Amino acid sequence: MNIKVRNGIGKTIYHVIVCAVGLIMIYPLLWMIFSSFKETNTIFATAGELIPKEVTLENYINGWKGFAQVSFGVFFKNSLFISVVATIGTVFSSALVAYSLSRFKFFGKKFLFGAMMISMMLPAQVLMIPQYLWYQQLGWVGTYLPLIVPYFFATQGFFIYLILNFIDGLPRELDEAAKIDGCSRYKYFAKVIIPLTVPALVTAAIFSFIWRWDDFLSALLYVNKTEKYPVSLALKLFSDPGASSDYGAMFAMATLSILPVTLIFIFFQKYLVDGIATTGLKG
Amino acid sequence: MKKVLAAVLACAMMLSLAACQGQDPGSNNNDSDQSTAAAVGTDSNASGEAHLTFSWWGNQIRNERTQEVLDMYSQEYSGVTFDVQVSDWGDYWNKLATASAGHALPDLVQMDYKYLKQYADNGMLLDLTPYIESGALDAGGIEEGILKSGTVDGGVYAISAGVNAPALLYNKTLLNENGISIKDNMTMDEFYAVCKEVYEKTGVKTNISYGLGENYIDYTLRGQGLELYSEDGKALGVSSAEDLQPYFEIYENGIAEGWLVSPEIFAERSIGTVEQDPLVYGSSPDARSWCNLTYSNAISAVWAAADADGIEVEVTTWPSVDPAASNFLKPAMFYSVTVDSKNPDEAVRVLNYLTNSVEANQVLLAERGIPASSVVTEGIIESLDEYQKMAVEYINNVVTPNSSPISAPAPDNSAEVLELLDQLQEQVCYGQITAVDAAEKLFTEGNKILAE
Amino acid sequence: MNQPKQRNQIAKWLDQESVAGVVCAFPFIAGFLLFLLVPMLISLYYSFCNYNILSEPAWVGFANYIKAFTDDPTFYQSIGVTFFYALISVPLRLVFALIVALILLKSTKATPIYRALYYLPSIMGGSVAVAILWKRMFAMDGIINTLLGVIGIKTNFAWLGSTDTAIWVLIILAVWQFGSSMLIFLSSLKQIPASLYEAAKVDGAKPWFRFWKITFPLLTPTIFFNLVMQMINGFLAFTQAYIITQGKPMNSTLFYTVYMYQQSFEFYNTGYGAALAWIMLLIIGAMTLILFATKKFWVYDGGA
Repeated sequence: MNIKVRNGIGKTIYHVIVCAVGLIMIYPLLWMIFSSFKETNTIFATAGELIPKEVTLENYINGWKGFAQVSFGVFFKNSLFISVVATIGTVFSSALVAYSLSRFKFFGKKFLFGAMMISMMLPAQVLMIPQYLWYQQLGWVGTYLPLIVPYFFATQGFFIYLILNFIDGLPRELDEAAKIDGCSRYKYFAKVIIPLTVPALVTAAIFSFIWRWDDFLSALLYVNKTEKYPVSLALKLFSDPGASSDYGAMFAMATLSILPVTLIFIFFQKYLVDGIATTGLKG
Repeated sequence: MKKVLAAVLACAMMLSLAACQGQDPGSNNNDSDQSTAAAVGTDSNASGEAHLTFSWWGNQIRNERTQEVLDMYSQEYSGVTFDVQVSDWGDYWNKLATASAGHALPDLVQMDYKYLKQYADNGMLLDLTPYIESGALDAGGIEEGILKSGTVDGGVYAISAGVNAPALLYNKTLLNENGISIKDNMTMDEFYAVCKEVYEKTGVKTNISYGLGENYIDYTLRGQGLELYSEDGKALGVSSAEDLQPYFEIYENGIAEGWLVSPEIFAERSIGTVEQDPLVYGSSPDARSWCNLTYSNAISAVWAAADADGIEVEVTTWPSVDPAASNFLKPAMFYSVTVDSKNPDEAVRVLNYLTNSVEANQVLLAERGIPASSVVTEGIIESLDEYQKMAVEYINNVVTPNSSPISAPAPDNSAEVLELLDQLQEQVCYGQITAVDAAEKLFTEGNKILAE
Repeated sequence: MNQPKQRNQIAKWLDQESVAGVVCAFPFIAGFLLFLLVPMLISLYYSFCNYNILSEPAWVGFANYIKAFTDDPTFYQSIGVTFFYALISVPLRLVFALIVALILLKSTKATPIYRALYYLPSIMGGSVAVAILWKRMFAMDGIINTLLGVIGIKTNFAWLGSTDTAIWVLIILAVWQFGSSMLIFLSSLKQIPASLYEAAKVDGAKPWFRFWKITFPLLTPTIFFNLVMQMINGFLAFTQAYIITQGKPMNSTLFYTVYMYQQSFEFYNTGYGAALAWIMLLIIGAMTLILFATKKFWVYDGGA
């Protein structure tokens, strides 16, 4: 067999295996999507069969109605607003702090790093009541502020650490070169570091968007008007153990809920693809 | 790029500074929109305008109907608007507890018997006695026992939103096919006989409230003339571990004789959901149960699920050595007004409307349970669907004449005791512990927990 | 006329390393002080109190901590379960994440879709659908047993009903969701300059050699990062156990945070729950310090 054919076969095998395993990986997701097209009462009875015998759109119609004349469209809009704004805040503030921790020595740096790590080690539930009391003092209960503002202050150590790890991997020679050229540290950050860390920023943005989108604990405590609910909270309106839950509608809306996240991932992951050329030494 | 950064940071700082000028922390949650921080709480003024918050747990049907009723109220009493907060069961209590820590409870809340005492004892709920005496809250149509169930230490802190009773729903189709009949107010022996007969003839097993220990132990103890909790709530109501044995023996025997659904089945399901109850769900006979010990509220839901499975369902009482002593009427849930309410008078008026208005209940249609007021029940009975009529009939004809008053509300720390109970029940079913030891453990540990 | 000079001086001062460091770190400093410190201190305070949310906290000193260590077998049980879960699922996740990231590194037309396929499971984490489905899959009559039957092992074992295997169902769930770690590895792999590989190829280095001498060392910082993060997340795992098993059967899947949540919000022993949380923080802190101490032995430092 000549090389070309061998390569061809190799490629095909690669694609077949990767694809097959991939589909197995997302089987639960497929199950949820297909179930959303089944009649809601039959979902459990026919849980073993993936493809619905009768396709129905009623779950989507029922689910979209939402509650109290507030359609799911409103909930999606709310989630979108919260997630996008909080993500922008997270990415930029975390990048700035990561830059500082990576490149500078200053008084209290070790302590800061420690504080950042510790803030990640407390379970969120234990802070529920204390944070609520604190936000009450600030007058923020009943608004979106607790769901957005803290993220502009790099309060999630994970992102700082993620971008920090990345910036650590950038060559220091670039720093030296910039300094000689008289570039200020801030300008350097904006003009050099940010462009070079785009993969990390994109990764952070994807994670942050998903986490904000899925977070319902903060919304539960601080959002009081139903029309301000985000999707994560609204999805829970369908389940009522003890009476019958409308799983069909829940799955339908959950399927729609996965869409923005998937789209963001597919759209942004091309920024992961383009490699960085660290030929910036000339820059 | 730098400018964008600067702008973003500046915005964030401005937002937080603006927020810091907030309002006083004690105000409740009827607050603003997403763009500004300064909250505008509207309180009632002399002209009768009010903005009330009402929170409940539930499902879509309850949500829609209740919202409709609130809209009706707003139309009738113009100037009154509502903020509605809906969650599922677990989240509801988290949110309520957190709000109570911050003294920011909603005006009206849905309350449950499980938590009634805790919230009332800690002064979270408004005593409605003055309103009942003045007539602002009309309790005339409410039967005394039901009114009493919302009473803690002499004060009325909650009004029943719907009455319920223990109901054993069974697979009539299966029993008919096999010539087995059962009657109301079965004793334990009669019950066992049916369980064994069903198992022998069809291989279908029995489920007795597995994982929901709190339901059945009370019932069993009442049948023995005992209560689960002592009067002051600081100890169990039984004087020795032996009193607790009969309960565990039910499970020990059931597993030993083979007619009790084995516990592994339940690990694969969500316990307590209607669709996954062994009565209607399970791919082999031994994963199924011929009965479901539930409450009359669930009749409609169980019927729907059973119907999808091709089963016809009938209702009767839970088995007990002494059915009359065991059985009781239970408010499925209550309405309460909280002490954080800035408009208690208006809130009580809403409560009155919900409880006594036939119009409103024509919309609610007994979704929370049979209305507390018999006047209202009379008024809407024609509009109820056949399952709810079944429930009404069951409650009126089967339970009420043959029952005793409900036990006192659960005391503090009862949740921990019930969790222990569920664990012991699990261990007995897995064969890890004997009924005698389980009873012993529940007795010692349970008393210890309650004494704290 | 002195203004430009003054502005210059300020700019110069700001550009000093020690000052710039603080300025750039300011968002977190402010954020920590504004949003984290006070709530953390409050929860620490609760841990020294008897608190049941509905009434005021009452100081009891170290009673909660003492109780956890001396009077609570469930405490030890949940620690054991959590350690077991974390120490097994985390390495497995990382290994899968790295392998798949390497496989999906090259960019063919279909790669974005493939990456999405492997990544999607990790975003379905808390969903009810996954909980329902996972339970069904591992049921006695579920798919897993059916598949085992296909390859010749006839069984209707109850994976979720047995205390030995229930935890593995959760571990498999965690490993299934390796996508997030994979994503981080992908972005780091992309950072490695292609020139290094080219140089090595020119030198005649085989792929395996290239991996161990170039890829792996340069990847160790990211591996370290993933290890620390996943370990912390592993110890703090909550949602899956809460919605799938609730700790059953017989506490064999009682994650520490689920137990803490139970104490805080179901039993209303919130002071005790807070103490449990802070104990876990100390444990995780200790584990992290250990990991950091090993850093210099195997993590490659410095840029490319």
